[in-house]
Amino acid sequence: MDWSRHLLVVPVLLPLLTGSLLLLIGEVRHTLKALISLASCVLLLVAACALLRLAAGLPETGGALTASYAVADWPAPFAIVLVVDRLSAMMLVVTGILALASLIFSMARWHSAAPHFHTLFQFLLMGLGGAFLTGDLFNLFVFFEVTLAASYGLLLYGSGTFRVRSGLHYIAINLAASLLFLIGVALIYGVAGTLNMADLAVRLPAVVEADKPLLYAGAAILGVAFLVKAGMWPLCFWLPSAYMAAAAPVAALFVILTKVGAYSLLRIGLLVFGPAAGEAAGFGGTVLLWGGMATIAFATFGILASQTLGTLAGYSVLISSGTLLAAIGIGERAVISGALFYLVSSTFSTAAFFMLIELVERAREPAADLLAVTMEAYGDESEEEEEREDEQVGVIMPGALAVLGLSFGVIAILLAGLPPLSGFIAKFAMLTGMLNPAGLGDTAAVPGRIWGLVALVILSGLAALIAMMRSGIRIFWAPMELIVPRVLVVEVAPIVALLTLCLMLVVQGGAVVAYTDAAARALHTPATYIQSVLGVSPPAGSAP
Amino acid sequence: MELTLAIAIGVITGSGVWLVLRPRTYQLVIGLSLLAYAVNLFIFSMGRLRIGAAPVLGPGGAGSAADLADPIPQALVLTAIVIGFATTALLLVVLLVARGLTGNDHVDGREKR
Amino acid sequence: MDPSPLLLILALPFIASLAVVLLPSASREPPTWVAGATMLACLACSLALYPSVGAGEVVRYTISWIPALGLDMTLRMDGFAWVFVTMVTGIGFLVVMYTRYYISAEDSVRRFYQLFLAFTGSMLGVVLSGNLVLLVVFWEMTSIFSFLLIGYWHHSQGARDGARMALTVTGVGGLALLGGVLIIGHIVGSYDLDSVLASGDAIRSHALYVPALLLVLLGALTKSAQFPFHFWLPNAMAAPTPVSAFLHSATMVKAGVFLMARLWPVLSGTQEWFVILGLAGMASLVLGAYLAMFQHDLKGLLAYSTISHLGLITLLLSLGSPLGAVAAIFHMLNHATFKASLFMAAGIIDHETGTRDLRKLSGLFRYMPITGTLAMVASAAMAGVPLLNGFLSKEMFFAEAVETHADSWVDIIAPYAAVLGSALAVTYSLRLIHSIFLGAPPESFPREPHEPPFWMRFPVMFLVVACLVVGIMPAQTIGPFLHVAVASALGSATPQYSLAIWHGFNIPLAMSVIALVAGALLYLGAANYLECAERAPIFGRIQGQRVFERVTVAISWRWARMMQETFGTNRLQAQMRLIAVVAIAAGAAPLLLSGLGLRQARPIQLDLAFAGLWIIGAICAVAAAYLAKFHRLAALALLGGTGLATCTTFFWLSAPDLAATQLVVEIVTTVLILLGLRWLPKRSEAFATEEGWLSRLRRSRDLAIAVAAGLGMAVMSYAVMTRDAPDSISRFFVEKAYSEGGGRNIVNVILVDFRGFDTLGEITVLGIVAITVFALLRRFRPAPDSIELPEQQRIQRSYDDADPDRDAGTTKMEYLFVPAVIMQWMFPVVIVLAAYLFVRGHDAPGGGFAAGVAMAAGFILQYMAAGTRWVEDRLRILPVVWIGGGLLIAALTGLVSVLLGDPFLTSYFRYAEVPLIGKVPLASAALFDLGVFSLVVGATVLMLIAIAHQSIRRLRAARLEEERQKWN
Repeated sequence: MDWSRHLLVVPVLLPLLTGSLLLLIGEVRHTLKALISLASCVLLLVAACALLRLAAGLPETGGALTASYAVADWPAPFAIVLVVDRLSAMMLVVTGILALASLIFSMARWHSAAPHFHTLFQFLLMGLGGAFLTGDLFNLFVFFEVTLAASYGLLLYGSGTFRVRSGLHYIAINLAASLLFLIGVALIYGVAGTLNMADLAVRLPAVVEADKPLLYAGAAILGVAFLVKAGMWPLCFWLPSAYMAAAAPVAALFVILTKVGAYSLLRIGLLVFGPAAGEAAGFGGTVLLWGGMATIAFATFGILASQTLGTLAGYSVLISSGTLLAAIGIGERAVISGALFYLVSSTFSTAAFFMLIELVERAREPAADLLAVTMEAYGDESEEEEEREDEQVGVIMPGALAVLGLSFGVIAILLAGLPPLSGFIAKFAMLTGMLNPAGLGDTAAVPGRIWGLVALVILSGLAALIAMMRSGIRIFWAPMELIVPRVLVVEVAPIVALLTLCLMLVVQGGAVVAYTDAAARALHTPATYIQSVLGVSPPAGSAP
Repeated sequence: MELTLAIAIGVITGSGVWLVLRPRTYQLVIGLSLLAYAVNLFIFSMGRLRIGAAPVLGPGGAGSAADLADPIPQALVLTAIVIGFATTALLLVVLLVARGLTGNDHVDGREKR
Repeated sequence: MDPSPLLLILALPFIASLAVVLLPSASREPPTWVAGATMLACLACSLALYPSVGAGEVVRYTISWIPALGLDMTLRMDGFAWVFVTMVTGIGFLVVMYTRYYISAEDSVRRFYQLFLAFTGSMLGVVLSGNLVLLVVFWEMTSIFSFLLIGYWHHSQGARDGARMALTVTGVGGLALLGGVLIIGHIVGSYDLDSVLASGDAIRSHALYVPALLLVLLGALTKSAQFPFHFWLPNAMAAPTPVSAFLHSATMVKAGVFLMARLWPVLSGTQEWFVILGLAGMASLVLGAYLAMFQHDLKGLLAYSTISHLGLITLLLSLGSPLGAVAAIFHMLNHATFKASLFMAAGIIDHETGTRDLRKLSGLFRYMPITGTLAMVASAAMAGVPLLNGFLSKEMFFAEAVETHADSWVDIIAPYAAVLGSALAVTYSLRLIHSIFLGAPPESFPREPHEPPFWMRFPVMFLVVACLVVGIMPAQTIGPFLHVAVASALGSATPQYSLAIWHGFNIPLAMSVIALVAGALLYLGAANYLECAERAPIFGRIQGQRVFERVTVAISWRWARMMQETFGTNRLQAQMRLIAVVAIAAGAAPLLLSGLGLRQARPIQLDLAFAGLWIIGAICAVAAAYLAKFHRLAALALLGGTGLATCTTFFWLSAPDLAATQLVVEIVTTVLILLGLRWLPKRSEAFATEEGWLSRLRRSRDLAIAVAAGLGMAVMSYAVMTRDAPDSISRFFVEKAYSEGGGRNIVNVILVDFRGFDTLGEITVLGIVAITVFALLRRFRPAPDSIELPEQQRIQRSYDDADPDRDAGTTKMEYLFVPAVIMQWMFPVVIVLAAYLFVRGHDAPGGGFAAGVAMAAGFILQYMAAGTRWVEDRLRILPVVWIGGGLLIAALTGLVSVLLGDPFLTSYFRYAEVPLIGKVPLASAALFDLGVFSLVVGATVLMLIAIAHQSIRRLRAARLEEERQKWN
């Protein structure tokens, strides 16, 4: 029989099974757990790539641009349906790569610092997979919750005062956001009588005029929930400290979390309130644009004022989400395409940065092995003690300092959006899109707010450059002799791999931009999506 | 009836929001639980109110949509209740741990100067 | 013709730079050879291209990169680019040859050449780019690599600061240039250089011309260290001398003027162009020369003279006249030759004597006559002495300066500025020659100087000879090349010009004479003053870098911090407040804007009993809010009250499942919080601080927010409830629930079948939270003030101690004895209840979740009754296994359907043969529900135990305390 149709459920099912299986394995058997977890991550990535090929509409996959999968075999608008198109496939691949990288990184020491690291890790992946695939509003909520619950666990992972304090904030704020999410979804259901996104898009024009305000109110409240998660000013202050508090591999994986909010806004915004939605078109676009600009501005100051690398990284996450939000606010095809490129590039570079920070800090004062500290301070039972031992395993990196310095430089260039790396291409793609929405040669006058955004994007890069240069000089060029850190190969490899990917994005720029262009175009023509969700009779069939 | 429920939702929400804006972790927990009630009632109310029409079919599956309460909001509320319960429990534990580590019960882990 | 040499020129340096990395880190000779060979190869390639370029054709080579963005790898070599490539590679080779002897033993040759080669590549890229965006790419790369080269000796503070300043200034310029290029692209509709050059009028007439011009010029002027951005160049002198000789004479700083000349046909000729560049150029010309006079550091003098000479070029370009452009291009080449040679000479002197301080140096001529001669000739060229190349371009410059191009004061003062500038140039050149080589030798040098090895001197010699040859017979030597360059740069505007040395007696000649004489006189007069002046009067006080540092610190530190504190916060309350406000606004906006149509579609029936219920419920809620601060227990009870009201409502309004679930959850939550309460600090009104008007204000604001939120929710829910229900998707479920779902309890069927996927996620959340709680509490550390026994237990303990025939803890055992026994008897009952709830779930209210929680409640009852120890001695529960198992069961149940070829989670009720009414439904959904049950039990028990356990840990701590007291 045809197995490929079940591909859509793999990103949810595989991590779920792995995670629950890991629960049944004895707690001290770290190596076994790590291997299982690793295998599942690799499989996940493979599945994601397969989905990408499916969504890219390559001939050998039957050229399906959007495929849908009705869970539990009930017809589309009623039961939950999973949908994959270029955008979600792309997000899945990015997630897979990120997961693999940070998992490998964590194997050096973090994964054995406290119980159930791998389980939480897998469940986080499950939540992400579901959030990117589902076509149902309430199901989206559920997967948001799965993601968040796992992220709570991972953020608090290893405990410690700072972590718990910022964890408390993180949890409280996200609980509030989840309540808003529920209110929004409920309102939408109460007025439109459906939970399926595509169905909602179809029903929207038919809603009674007098009911529309309520529907919009629901959508707006839903939007606020997404904005909290995406980190838009003034709802974003929790973000830097939370990310700074998280353990390095966790923080690296968290980079994708803000993107989930952006993804949902993009998906629902363009599907339901997109160009097709008549007078509801561009619902809240202005808010996103201005809010995004405010976010960039705030984060720019934050990045300049940051004293530690952790804050620097946290605020660069904010800059990238601000940029994304503003781009989504504009909503032009060309801009969205650039923004998607930017999403990939910034995700990789920031994640690499988070991992690098731990190693660099280690280089600065070798005593401050974060883990050791937490162990001394908060580990009371004996089992942690013996967990410390397998910290010695692994090959020690030769010439570590040079590699760290080089990676730091590369990341600085990426964050600042300087040539020749992908950061520049991404920014250039967005900027040229903003100035020439209809492609080069479009001589239509550019409104002032767009100029403002262009300036902000460029200036934020400058700020990143200055900040990175300041700390880079302080760390690597400081006169006193640096202690060569004990860095394991498994810790450096993922960083280098992610940065290499950024380089590939440049070399393969043409192909990548072509893909993001197609993805953006698909987002602007929701008909295909709706058709493949509602139109096709065989439940798991894929639209031609 | 609708009016009563609406007002009730409003009052619970109000008290919840008020508590959430307070500085003590315990107030935060109670506030969020109250908000959870309010939101559950809200979701439930989205299916309109019915009396004596539980969405349980008679023997042989007798019954039609017209004379039964809307089951979907109920299903959603059930899910919401569970998730709310889980997250409340987590928050409670986190605040206990925070209290243990920081030595006070202020939401910022340190008393305002 | 074959364009591959073009690609080679660009690629070779980068390849070589990577190749050098592979060499052993200590190696010294191999990197040098690689670098030299690369330079020669590039030079050869460009020479190979001369025939076609010389014939006036433009060599192009395009690799498609990102066509969608109009960004392609377009290389383009015309005469102008050719001259630059040849100059860069040629001087590059000489510098490599020089470096071999210059670089000292402890410096890493490998790192030097990595950066050096990469920089060369980027510079060649700037010159060869046929696409403006590509040009920006290489432009920024030159900034980055020059940063690394200036910081080569990063152990010295000066190098670090110089590097940082250089990158900051040029980086800003680069980003500005990017902006300018974007605008030009927007105007022209293409980033391709050819089409840009073709559409000059369109650009000049466009509304966005001025911003584009400003941005591009900002880029160019920062790069070329022009006033007011000149200050970074002197600080960049902390770089090794070969770097200065290459970057700060021939390449990096030339990129700016190169760009201006490149875009000259497109941007020049307007008033803005004239004024901006004219002022910048003039200021740099005069100010640079003026400050150069007062430098005591040899390289500092050269740096300022570079600023001045580049100012001359800028001024020439500003005039907008073709002849001016010709002179500019000519001077670019001349300046490169003599300034590179001078830098290298300076390096030799530094190398030989160990100092670069003009005040320490003197009478060197007798120690190193050859180098001295060379240096003198080069300085003479710099001063513009006849028969040297500097003279020719300066003559052209004077000739242009006297012409009137635009009636503005800038144009009027131009000639005077020109004369003044070159007079000062004569002065500092004289000072250089005199104070270093002439005069009496000082009694001691840091090191005993002598002539350097021949091959270290050779590059200097070569360049100086070039100066002479070009200066004596320009037309025969540089003439044709210059013509090719000019023709390609200016295109149709190429003017007639003559490269003769002698144009007869005319104003320019007079001006040169005046300049030479005045400069000489000035030096004679002021020599001693210059020698001992601490710094230049007036302008010397304005320390560029000081200002820069202040500004950067102010902006990037103080302001940033201020803004961050003003527009951000770390306090949770503030963030919650913001979220609430934003959410209220978001919800209210649509309702207020387009009016909320409150339609009475449904009859309002008012039920007094219901109202009464909610009067109580509401009072409970408000009271809980009021008491939560000081009376936690009361608040908890009141919370329960509201919860009960909610349950009743669910039951009342025909949602029995919700009622049941809410009830059990209610119980467990309360137990959890009760268990937690004990660890919170004591708090009573007694300690409550009297709050001032400010906090009262804050409270009233919060109250307003709370009321607004409540109002919003009430209005929205009322508005929806009073509307007709839309044609909802729920009809489908009602119809299919029994016929295809196989259950009469529609809600349960939705949970385990229609929307089973949600349930799967939901129970996962529960599981995750449970293990998180478990992991957290394992590291739990109670706060010191809640370590000791609760008051009640202490009383019991004291009672035991008081009575001799009772041993400690007896009372505690006897406490609540009867209820405890009852609770223990309850256990089987609870289990039966749970089973019952589970089984009937599919057809009647109940289900796996309710059953699971009930079961967990049974366990916790045991804990409460008999204490942690007792329970755990008697029954082993492995909650984690229950969780994992539950999840696996649920997921695998769903997976079965996949094996049968149906989508995940497909339920198989309808294939079961047995008639099932009233009996246990054998739907696979029931199996799924079993998974739910198992997980819920596991998770709930795990959380409860985790908290309950803390009492034991606390006891352990207390017991240790007691031991200690016993022993002392």
